[in-house]
Amino acid sequence: MLGLTNKVGKFYVYTSTLISAFVVFLIFIILLINSWEAISTIGLDLISLSWNPAKGEFGIISMLYGTFVVTFIALVIAIPLGTFTAIFTSEILASKYRFVVKSTLELLAGIPSIIYGLIGIAFLSIWFQDLFDLQSGRTLFTAGILLSVMILPTIITLTDDAFHNIPEKYRETAKGLGLYNSEIIKEVLVPIAKADIKSAILLAFGRALGETMAVMLVVGSIDRLPSPVLNWLSPGQTITSKLGREIAETSFRSVHFSAMIFMGLLLFSIVLFLTILAQNSSKKTERLYE
Amino acid sequence: MKNAYTLLTFLVCIIITSCDKKQAINIAGSTTVLPIISVAAEEFRKSNPKLNIIVNEGGSGVGVNQLGEGKLDIGMVSRDITSDEIAEYPEINFKPISIGKDAVVPVISSEIYNTGITSLTLDEIAKIYRGEIQNWKELGGPDKEILVIDKEASRGTRHVFMEIVFGNKNAEANGADLVLGSNNEEQTAIVQSDAAIGMLSNAWLNDDVKGLSIKMDTGEIIEPSIKNIINNKFPITRDLLIVTNGSPKGSVKAFIDYLLSDEGQKIVEDSGYVRINQ
Repeated sequence: MLGLTNKVGKFYVYTSTLISAFVVFLIFIILLINSWEAISTIGLDLISLSWNPAKGEFGIISMLYGTFVVTFIALVIAIPLGTFTAIFTSEILASKYRFVVKSTLELLAGIPSIIYGLIGIAFLSIWFQDLFDLQSGRTLFTAGILLSVMILPTIITLTDDAFHNIPEKYRETAKGLGLYNSEIIKEVLVPIAKADIKSAILLAFGRALGETMAVMLVVGSIDRLPSPVLNWLSPGQTITSKLGREIAETSFRSVHFSAMIFMGLLLFSIVLFLTILAQNSSKKTERLYE
Repeated sequence: MKNAYTLLTFLVCIIITSCDKKQAINIAGSTTVLPIISVAAEEFRKSNPKLNIIVNEGGSGVGVNQLGEGKLDIGMVSRDITSDEIAEYPEINFKPISIGKDAVVPVISSEIYNTGITSLTLDEIAKIYRGEIQNWKELGGPDKEILVIDKEASRGTRHVFMEIVFGNKNAEANGADLVLGSNNEEQTAIVQSDAAIGMLSNAWLNDDVKGLSIKMDTGEIIEPSIKNIINNKFPITRDLLIVTNGSPKGSVKAFIDYLLSDEGQKIVEDSGYVRINQ
């Protein structure tokens, strides 16, 4: 009887895993099949600047550029902010407050992205408009700032856990050697937690790439590179905002639809690549603690 | 095990209740037609409580596409259906019915309007959208750069606007700074700016979003008033359409008849548009 239950349990666990893996595989295949028409008919012209479906032009460079700029801004802000907050909550803050502070920060992750978008439209974009004396506050920069707040909890929580998982004995030994608290964090704990911090950042990167709603509302949605190209205080477009705005307007199986799906495939591939990277980086570094 | 039974019973209950499917009319499309339909749907349901009417937005392009794909019973469209769209769905017999009339009005921020720019020629508007005029100064206004707001390519308001202003409904607007979607979104952006120009349905004008009068070649200045829409004087007018696949039947027909009835047309008027047979 026990053997049977064991077998059934094993079967159940295996199938669950297989189904999840299969769904990912299926999504990839569907994206590939549906974007094939764009790849075969448009080909290298996909990598151009002009997007105009009425003329049959489907250049995705400005969307790709917008996606990377917005994600870059978000990460540049959120990485230092997030890791330092995590160091504070796990190493400096008294442990009885840790739970309260951490769960409050985690609440940030629970706020629906449309709410972030509305805050972005109603306040953030207006503030930036006045602050930088812009024509419009709907810019790549605004979207990046908004996104940095949205990915902050991912970085904080995972980094905090990384620090918290380090056994007490490392801290005690370091203290026994007469190190200051700052030295313990810098020389002992950060090197140990490094691999986990790296995966936290990659996970946040993936989330930033894929965020749609909030970005769509504040980014300005114009398919054009800023001029000059590094002027991030001008409107732009990301892949997700483009998809969000335009996918429903395209007819199924048209080249237009296919080109949109191609952008989805690109996004999927980037995230997939990052995930594999994150997996490998945490596998390679041997953990110092058991 | 007890938990599993509770869960199972729960699931069965859900399945049974969802099997009792209510009759529903699915509607989506233009945000210009939306205010009429959502009010009308609510009123219509008062006398037909068994009938569900599901109304979504998305733009005229969404209305046509989803009707073409068989996801909708009624598509809301605030422009003509293009020949491309008809060719795209050969098996669909698009049947448009006009339920009201509207004007697409070039709108500007009240800050600019109050400095005295209250009318422009179609040519001036085209130049702004092409990027040839970039500052309100050039039009006799304050020294402020123009924030040019465009709309998503398949939106009905854009098609109608571009058709009249550029002579081509798919015209590119190289001077555009932002591309937005629904009437709501456009309205918000114009309110938030003090130097914006955009395009809106007549019903969405207010104290912060001022409609420009059009200066005709003859020198006549025509303001976007209900009167000028009725007598076709305002140059950018359009019919508000609802589109079905083939002739409407059953509850869909009943709903459309309601929209065309005196009561339904009253809603059209209350929403800020013009009734059909006037």
